[in-house]
Amino acid sequence: MKKIVVEGLKYRYPLTAELALNDVSFEIEKGEFIGIIGRNLAGKSTLCQALMGLVPHFYKGAYGGSVTVDGLNVAQTEICELARKVGLVFQNPFTQVSGSKMTVYEELAFGLENLGVPRAEMMPRIESAMALLGIERFGKRNPFDLSGGQMQRMAIASVIAMAPDIIVLDEPTSQLDPQGSEEVFQAIQALSRQGMTVIMVEHKMEKIARYSDRVMLLDHGRLVDFDTPERVFSRDDLAQYGIAAPIFARICQGLGIRTPQTGLYPMTLDDAYDQVVNWHE
Amino acid sequence: MKALSLYQDNGTLIHRVDPISKLLYIAAAIFIPVVLTGFTAGLAMLGLSLMLLVLARVLRKVVPLIGFSMLVLISVVIIQGLFYAGNRQVMFALGGVHFYREGLLFSAAICVRVLNILCAFALLVLTTRPSDLIESLVRQGLSPHFGYVLSSVLQIIPQMTGTMETITDAQRSRGMETEGSLMVRLRAFLPLIGPVVMNSLVSTRERSLALEVRAFSSRAQKTFLNEERVSTSNRVIKIVLLAAMAAAVAWRVVS
Repeated sequence: MKKIVVEGLKYRYPLTAELALNDVSFEIEKGEFIGIIGRNLAGKSTLCQALMGLVPHFYKGAYGGSVTVDGLNVAQTEICELARKVGLVFQNPFTQVSGSKMTVYEELAFGLENLGVPRAEMMPRIESAMALLGIERFGKRNPFDLSGGQMQRMAIASVIAMAPDIIVLDEPTSQLDPQGSEEVFQAIQALSRQGMTVIMVEHKMEKIARYSDRVMLLDHGRLVDFDTPERVFSRDDLAQYGIAAPIFARICQGLGIRTPQTGLYPMTLDDAYDQVVNWHE
Repeated sequence: MKALSLYQDNGTLIHRVDPISKLLYIAAAIFIPVVLTGFTAGLAMLGLSLMLLVLARVLRKVVPLIGFSMLVLISVVIIQGLFYAGNRQVMFALGGVHFYREGLLFSAAICVRVLNILCAFALLVLTTRPSDLIESLVRQGLSPHFGYVLSSVLQIIPQMTGTMETITDAQRSRGMETEGSLMVRLRAFLPLIGPVVMNSLVSTRERSLALEVRAFSSRAQKTFLNEERVSTSNRVIKIVLLAAMAAAVAWRVVS
């Protein structure tokens, strides 16, 4: 089932001359884990916000083409209606704290209160979201007293508690240490396995290569490639788009080792290990 | 975290009374002495408020509030005592300055009224979590948007002060003089306030995006995480307060 269909999407922010998104078309199936990569200003965040309706409803600006999310045409649907289907986590956790709640637990309830979720249903949702992101013990703390990493986990949990079908994450692990980001990736993978469609912008290529089903490469507002991590990261022209392939792929590239079946470079540590051992024998 | 709130979490009986009853109490504390002119009603209300403040164990926090208002009240007493239009009867003289009975009585009535209002408000402010107050107002029909503005201001202003401090430290670490004579401080003002304003503009935009994502402008009937406190005792308090106000009006009409 097609969850997201984007056709010929073009968008220009108000008061700018260049297109932030230029003729982008793709389709995403239900339950897929999609990684979005590209250098700064490639249009990654704009694309995320276009899936949520913030582009064009919040910013206005010039809009062309169409984005269909779960059968709804985004340009004709209000943001609050889309918020029932799509959850969006931003990069800066600090500005995602609503500021009107005194504890982390209440903060997670903010979105649910707005959606009109009955009280009895709220608590199990909040508790499971907190458990998934490992922030149960901060329930009674003030949201502003958390560290950057904890706040980032809280921001993700607040969106997950709203139980969207699709979750869009714009660099959700920028404030987390390596172990923290690994935990967050695993939590999101667990959601993806339960059937949630995940779209994630991330600069940590090793993680993208390991967790994504497909990778979308953007540059200057254009969709360059949208394919499996192996195919995208085995391209010869990655440097031209400001991207470095995962370190394991680069090592194998340097050694000239390809996976024999596909002719592509291995992406993860385990694959690379197997291929290097094979090659050595 | 320091929030802009005077709330004292003592967990007494008074703290458990619902905010709407406390608002009604403020109304009664202002209304009854106005309807029943004379000192008795005002002093009685004031005594009641002070007793409730003691019960809530927050009397110590009221003292600075009263102290501050004293400054204004003393000047009222002096001016009315000297220059009240109905002044006839000299009460006492201080170094040739005459204080009149009528003016002093008039100013005493003002003082009782001000202290009354102050104590009644202190009872609300010191014993109610701001978020609880706003939540119960939203339940009563206040727009959730307005409620959000009220409650977020209490937390976001201290955050902005924090940002201001960070920016001050950052500029100082790059060698900017921010302390010293008035001129030095004035010169330091622009490079400090610029980043603070830019920073808050950017974070306001980001926060409003984040609020939209969390269905802030949804038109669905809002629900609440906290249960509404509907207890018989709260209902009794409200009825008693309304009855007292009605009785005051009746008394005034009859007598």
